[in-house]
Amino acid sequence: MRAAFSKGLADIARADPRVVLLTGDHGYALFDEFRRACPDQYINAGVAEQNMIGVAAGMARAGFRPYVYGLSAFIPIRVLEQIKIDLAHDRLPVVLIGDGAGFVYSHLGTSHQSTEDIAAARALPNLDVFSPADRHELARCLELSRQVSTTTYLRIGKADCGDVHPGPVAARPGELLRVRQGGGDLVFLATGSMVRTALDIAARAYPEASVWSAPFLKPIEAARVLDIAHGARAVVCMEEHSIYGGFGSLVSELVSEHAPVRVLRIGVADRFSHHCGTYDYLLREHGLDAEAVAARIGRFLTRA
Amino acid sequence: MISNTLRFDPRQLRRTVLEMAYCGATVHIGCALSIVDILAVLYRNHLRYPANKPDAEGRDYLVLSKGHGVMAQYACMRELGWLDDAAIRGYFSDGTDLKGLSDSRVPGLEVTSGSLGHGFSVGVGLALAAKRLGTGQKTFAIVGDGEINEGPIWEGALFAAHHRLRDFMIIVDENGFQAMGTTSEVLALDSLERKLGAFGFEAVSVDGHDEAALDAAIAALGRSASPAPKAIVARTVKGKGVAFMENDNRWHYTRLTEDTYRQALACLDGDVA
Repeated sequence: MRAAFSKGLADIARADPRVVLLTGDHGYALFDEFRRACPDQYINAGVAEQNMIGVAAGMARAGFRPYVYGLSAFIPIRVLEQIKIDLAHDRLPVVLIGDGAGFVYSHLGTSHQSTEDIAAARALPNLDVFSPADRHELARCLELSRQVSTTTYLRIGKADCGDVHPGPVAARPGELLRVRQGGGDLVFLATGSMVRTALDIAARAYPEASVWSAPFLKPIEAARVLDIAHGARAVVCMEEHSIYGGFGSLVSELVSEHAPVRVLRIGVADRFSHHCGTYDYLLREHGLDAEAVAARIGRFLTRA
Repeated sequence: MISNTLRFDPRQLRRTVLEMAYCGATVHIGCALSIVDILAVLYRNHLRYPANKPDAEGRDYLVLSKGHGVMAQYACMRELGWLDDAAIRGYFSDGTDLKGLSDSRVPGLEVTSGSLGHGFSVGVGLALAAKRLGTGQKTFAIVGDGEINEGPIWEGALFAAHHRLRDFMIIVDENGFQAMGTTSEVLALDSLERKLGAFGFEAVSVDGHDEAALDAAIAALGRSASPAPKAIVARTVKGKGVAFMENDNRWHYTRLTEDTYRQALACLDGDVA
């Protein structure tokens, strides 16, 4: 996924001289290809994210197409107000890339983990939110980012979970993608890194479940969500993000109004990580490993 | 190009500020009055707007980072014909466009500001874009001395110097006050000329109400051979032009009554600006 990102971004810059990449002194080896291919389009703005967003806004106003890279703990969280006022307010075509979302920086603690960024970003008008699950979805998100007409937040989480699609996808903006056809009326909806987990759980414990990936959280095809929910026995939403304000909330908001169905939100239960450890360890700490999620789904379905 | 026949008479501009403040029953009068002369000089002699259009391609950029002073900019935009009398007199009426802080959706205002420390960085980005495109456009960012407490100003100052944005100029409205008191009481700034100089700006201090001195300083910095970004620390008086408002921070918050409006206009007319 990181190779796809690196190459995709360099391709975009090669094709469009208006593209500039700003980074807040992050992405050490990630931009080697970009810097080789388009050295003049690369700007390390220093450890100064607030100014970096303002600079991106000024450059976008003058006709450039800035991509701004940082860790999702900083882009968008640290600079949320700059995104609101300097960018989204005027729908400036700036693509914000928040890398390492969720618990990727598992050993570094709370400052580098972000499980509130979708909620914060979703609440800002004019800000689109993309959340790809694998390299194919990421490539499609990058492709679409070339034509965006508003500010866009591209959330990149754990990058080496493996593919969820057999090959390139040609998704429409807002489209949900079915990654598994189940025989029954159980629906798993997931985004980002949790799509892989949802597939694993379905294969192992719930063969009747259909699994859908949501690479676009805003805008999202609401009619599609409702169509999927309609007739389902239950919907399970999975995300590496707080259960407040993220993907599960989004689905709940839609179905509670238009297609009531029981929804289980699998995500981070409104708390920071307690301990240090590997990524897999932290997923277990938060009950987001496949085994714990499968058990919760079992209890949820039994209670029905 | 900008029409040099316009006078941008500071006394008339201050009248408009008072008229808007009275019609809209608004606050933030003192901080608008302190930047009137700076804006008059910029619009009269320095800002280029092809075909007199506020959104013309190739225009110079004026960024009012201290969005609270926006009434002074509206006053200039009235003289330019970008705002009509109805917009001035209808200030703050329901459904109108002119807000109490700079809003980029109003043609003539480049940025949305008022949350402080935003416009400056956007101006740095505009200046970087102009440099990369080789357009020769100048960018002026007016920043308050209270506003300069904000961290992004200093991030942006580092950035502007590092990227040698020679056509970028910060003009600090050093009126010595911020919302809750004097700058020395709240968060002492010491010498902004030295601070900005240490950040790599070519910096000068000047009387912010002396139009000839302001004009000469802006012109001299514009001619400078240095690749450094430029800074003018404009020593100003909050409430300038209306004796009973000068250096009285209550006029950051106080609204005009019919009586005080009349008194303020009388003060202006008695002023020998």
